Amino acid sequence: MTTKTLLVAALLAGVTLPAAAFAQEYNADATIRIGSLYEPQNLDNTAGAGQGINEAFNGNVYEALFELTDAGSVEPKLVDSYETSEDGLTYTFKLKPGVTFHSGDPLTAADVKYSIERVTAEASKSSRKKSLSTITGIETPDDQTVVITLSARSISLPYNLSYVWIVNDAATDITATEDGTGPYTLGEWRRGSALALERNDAYWGDAPTNGEVIYTYFTDATALNNALLTNAVDIITSVQSPDSLAQFQGNSAYTVTEGASTTKEILAYNDRVAPFDNVKVRKALARATDKARLLNSIWGEYGTLIGSFVPPTDPWYVDLTSVDAYDVESAKALLAEAGYPDGFEFTLDTPDYDPHPIVAQFLQSEYAKIGVKVNINIITANEWYTKVYQAHDFQATLQEHVNHRDIVFYGNPDFYWGYNNPDVVKLIADSESAATEAEQTEKLTEANKLIAEDAASNWLYLYPQIVVSAANVTGYPVNGLNSQFFAYDIQKAE
Amino acid sequence: MTTEIVAAPQRQRRPLILWAGLILVGLHVFAGLLSLVWLPYDPTAMAGGRLEGPSFLHWVGTDRLGRDLFTQMMIGSRIALTVGLGAVAIGAAIGVTLGILAAFATRWLDDALAATLDILIAFPTLLIAMLVVAASDTANLWSAIIALGIALSAIVARLTRILAKRVLVMDYITAARTSGSSWPKIVAIHILPNIWPTLAVNFALQFGLAVIAEASLSYLGLGAPPPNASWGRILQEAQGTVYTAPLGAIAPGIALVSLAIGVNLLADGLRDAIDPTRRSR
Repeated sequence: MTTKTLLVAALLAGVTLPAAAFAQEYNADATIRIGSLYEPQNLDNTAGAGQGINEAFNGNVYEALFELTDAGSVEPKLVDSYETSEDGLTYTFKLKPGVTFHSGDPLTAADVKYSIERVTAEASKSSRKKSLSTITGIETPDDQTVVITLSARSISLPYNLSYVWIVNDAATDITATEDGTGPYTLGEWRRGSALALERNDAYWGDAPTNGEVIYTYFTDATALNNALLTNAVDIITSVQSPDSLAQFQGNSAYTVTEGASTTKEILAYNDRVAPFDNVKVRKALARATDKARLLNSIWGEYGTLIGSFVPPTDPWYVDLTSVDAYDVESAKALLAEAGYPDGFEFTLDTPDYDPHPIVAQFLQSEYAKIGVKVNINIITANEWYTKVYQAHDFQATLQEHVNHRDIVFYGNPDFYWGYNNPDVVKLIADSESAATEAEQTEKLTEANKLIAEDAASNWLYLYPQIVVSAANVTGYPVNGLNSQFFAYDIQKAE
Repeated sequence: MTTEIVAAPQRQRRPLILWAGLILVGLHVFAGLLSLVWLPYDPTAMAGGRLEGPSFLHWVGTDRLGRDLFTQMMIGSRIALTVGLGAVAIGAAIGVTLGILAAFATRWLDDALAATLDILIAFPTLLIAMLVVAASDTANLWSAIIALGIALSAIVARLTRILAKRVLVMDYITAARTSGSSWPKIVAIHILPNIWPTLAVNFALQFGLAVIAEASLSYLGLGAPPPNASWGRILQEAQGTVYTAPLGAIAPGIALVSLAIGVNLLADGLRDAIDPTRRSR
């Protein structure tokens, strides 16, 4: 073949390939291989499984009464219709008929009651437990009807129920197995490496556009990128470094999509212990942090500064970057006012994976300028969970918080960071009993401002959400709210 | 006659190896010592931009936070040498003591010690070091040094035992014993001076092993915590940017390899300088 014919062939391919990718010609039995950094610790979202379980199972294996869509709206899923009483204290849900669990059992009201009680149970480790605490009773007048009574109005009940997996009440321990209603069943789970989901041919809804989904887990972002480059995976759920994007940008073999993220990198103080119980100390550290520089160091051109815990996709977002903006001199003055003119020393429990160690070193260098000495203590994700999240045995820590609408954590004084402002607790509680969404938004916006003024934590930046896939793969979610990754619409052209 | 013809170029080659080793190790020693009194930049200062390439201001560029990499590499030399020396010192103290005890011990105690050492040696050095670090509360430079020292001691102990046993059957030991010399005196006067040259070569090799093992521990996050700029840690932090700023990973890699090769050449050269049987060959 001459150079000329090669050129022509290349041009022709360039014209026809994208057309083929956009046409409906996909392999209905394709295996979609999803590369992720978030392996679940177990398979039960009420047992501290981590964000990986939401990514793999939400909407895929388990479904909820409502679904938080990738666009951020809450839509009925296993609910056919529902009514709210005049006082907003009684919800009556009619279930979709003809839904069965993977084990073959039909979905009944008793399963719904069981599933909600799993999340609110004493032993549950769900971070969403408190948001369901207004539920006082769950009745099941017949197999298709669930009546939930509340102690107070709860405007976000449908939203909160989107977190509650509906599990067959015959399944007692689901840490290593599953029994859900979703479009996929659990295939082989090889701990430390991969989790396979197989198409559920008995699914009640529309069939998935692929035959099997394999979540392949990596502990290292570079290895994950190489897996996509060598065609070992089809999609990377969230790219963790801007530098790796250089390999995919401008290459027609890959698609790079930037969506709306809800993942916030935060320096969380233990607000219960000195010196972090002092609001002036917290404000001083916030002012001593050059967040624009930090964001640039980690993400280059990507990412957003928000100045609070609320990302722009939450209805109560306001730009609070001007509160405690970077100002080293005023940080020093505040520290002196707080009684620490010569600074102090604290231990920063730092999860051992990127970007936390590098963020910790950045903070160490920044805070040295105001006389605050940071001792970096590297810990594993498991240690973080037991030491920081459960035992509250820490001074300060770094963590990425992935959830959507999670400002409510600041209304819980028992949360790991121990922030306790009665006004905020009341505002967040009242926002739940709001009669309208406008009222709810108004109250939470107010709470957001108070939390920012208190510098309850140090909100460093909002991650970008970047999905990279092979060009022949389409139909995946791009926003990844709550780290969900619905796989059922993914198509692979072959 | 033929042996002389063959031996002649060998005699020339051997000092070369020794010199190459001395120069490589010497460079690191110089950088490490210099880092105690002078550094181009404050190691934690974010003096430049993100991932700058090599320039007159930053000889090997900067990392993601804009810190000078050359500064970090100099500190890396110091940490590598500290760990190497510390680990070998600990390994030598434990290993030589155990080895000599085993050589003098009764038959069954000697067998038991020898078997234990063989089992310990069967475990990779790094694995033992990881276990020791995991057992201590927090990872720091000292826990890494102690862990590596313990891991290396088994190899030293086995070698010492074998060497000491070889000396113990010599006639002059019997003579010393019959003339009433105490055991400590025999060890000090007869055994240690006789086994010392071989041990010294071994220590140099162990030093190289310790340096690489420390880099591995740091790479795994089990070494000295940040901001201690161990080469392993620099490598690990540069991993995510290896395609856009490869020098960040290449530079600590070269440093590590040059020191490891340096001590190995040094050990080789030392062995030839000390060991008369090899010298005459």
